[in-house]
Amino acid sequence: MGVMRIGHINLRVLDMVAARKHYEEILGLMPAAEDDKGNVYLKGWDEWDKYSIMLSASDRAGMNHVAYKVESDGDLDELKSRIIEYGLDVEMVPPGTLPFCGRALRFWMPSGHLMYLYAEKEFVGKAVGVNNPDPWPDGLKGAGVHWLDHCLLICELDPPSGINKVADNTRFFTEVLGFRLTEQIMAGPDHTVQAAAFLARTTTPHDIAFVGGPTLGLHHCSFFLDEWADVLKAADVLGKNKVKIDVTPQRHGITRGATSYFFDPSGNRNETFAGLGYLSQPDMPVITWTEEEIGSAIFFHTGELNPAFTTVYTEGV
Amino acid sequence: MTTETTATGDYRVHLIDTGESYSCPANRTLLNAMVALGRQGIPSGCHGGGCGVCKVYILQGEVTTLAMSRAHVSKEEEAIGYALACRTYPISDVVLKVVGRMRKSVVYRYGFI
Ligand SMILES: [Fe+2]
Repeated sequence: MGVMRIGHINLRVLDMVAARKHYEEILGLMPAAEDDKGNVYLKGWDEWDKYSIMLSASDRAGMNHVAYKVESDGDLDELKSRIIEYGLDVEMVPPGTLPFCGRALRFWMPSGHLMYLYAEKEFVGKAVGVNNPDPWPDGLKGAGVHWLDHCLLICELDPPSGINKVADNTRFFTEVLGFRLTEQIMAGPDHTVQAAAFLARTTTPHDIAFVGGPTLGLHHCSFFLDEWADVLKAADVLGKNKVKIDVTPQRHGITRGATSYFFDPSGNRNETFAGLGYLSQPDMPVITWTEEEIGSAIFFHTGELNPAFTTVYTEGV
Repeated sequence: MTTETTATGDYRVHLIDTGESYSCPANRTLLNAMVALGRQGIPSGCHGGGCGVCKVYILQGEVTTLAMSRAHVSKEEEAIGYALACRTYPISDVVLKVVGRMRKSVVYRYGFI
């Protein structure tokens, strides 16, 4: 019971035509719907709910909200009480407020990012179906990503002023939403500042992550691929299409994932992520990276941080 | 500031901050042409008009621009010559001042962002 997984992210894009080309032709997401406001809904071939990406035309890049799916409708009532008890404002919005979804809880994370929890979303099914399915469908475009895997949000961090929204979010997500801390980066004097946190509800290394920064933002949303060779192939697709690559394929120390980072045509960062790294279980000890090894934590091969990777991001609200 | 004309369709981009210049084809953005040459001067970020680190102020010359996030360039700013270099194509030689920067105030104190 409780939260299952990331359900969707609502991204703001500056040019819908360019965004659709990127997410449909290059990443290989499948069109699911378009509403009368011009929002476009897309899904990965391996996902069964109607959409995991909602694109909204805007004059500002970034994200409007992120939504996670809970196991049953009754979970929403229980989570609502827990959120209220914790002291955050929360509202139960009626079915359809979140497009193609049932009733949903709407609240702002301690970091200021808008989040929804819902239990029901229109069902479409995997592209390969459920009866004697093929391992993958024909006609996949571009990178052919499987599913939206996780997102990383930038949270305000200014320890001298007593502000650490990474720690605030981590506390809320673990104490109220039942997430488990899998890995963290500890920085500052005596490694007392939690500068990054990776949290899971599934058995993967992370379903959401928070990293400290000067202002709240969206660092990236990530799409799952099977393996390393798929990440390399995806990078070929990006190169062929002149997509701005931030980080070429390599390995993260944190999560052990094979990764590549790039930007959509509005400057929102995407990741292709392969391998499940390790099995994250409730009794797995928390992995801690210290400031001195921060380069290896993020980019294990070079052990060096790329300034654009740590400082370039779009709006988080 | 002297502006030397280059091959047809290529324009000269001068950075007033460093006195350096480079060549930019009409079909490439100011930022893309710079990084393709391995040059530095304008901070290079998302190349999609979303992050704002490549913000410049066009002092001289004509440009066309694609949509830029209003979080970083307001309508008023755009009207007086501010732009994001990743969204800006030259249609003449250009003289610009770099306005954007990598936000790194916390990097050195807390190891990360
Ligand atoms: Fe990621």
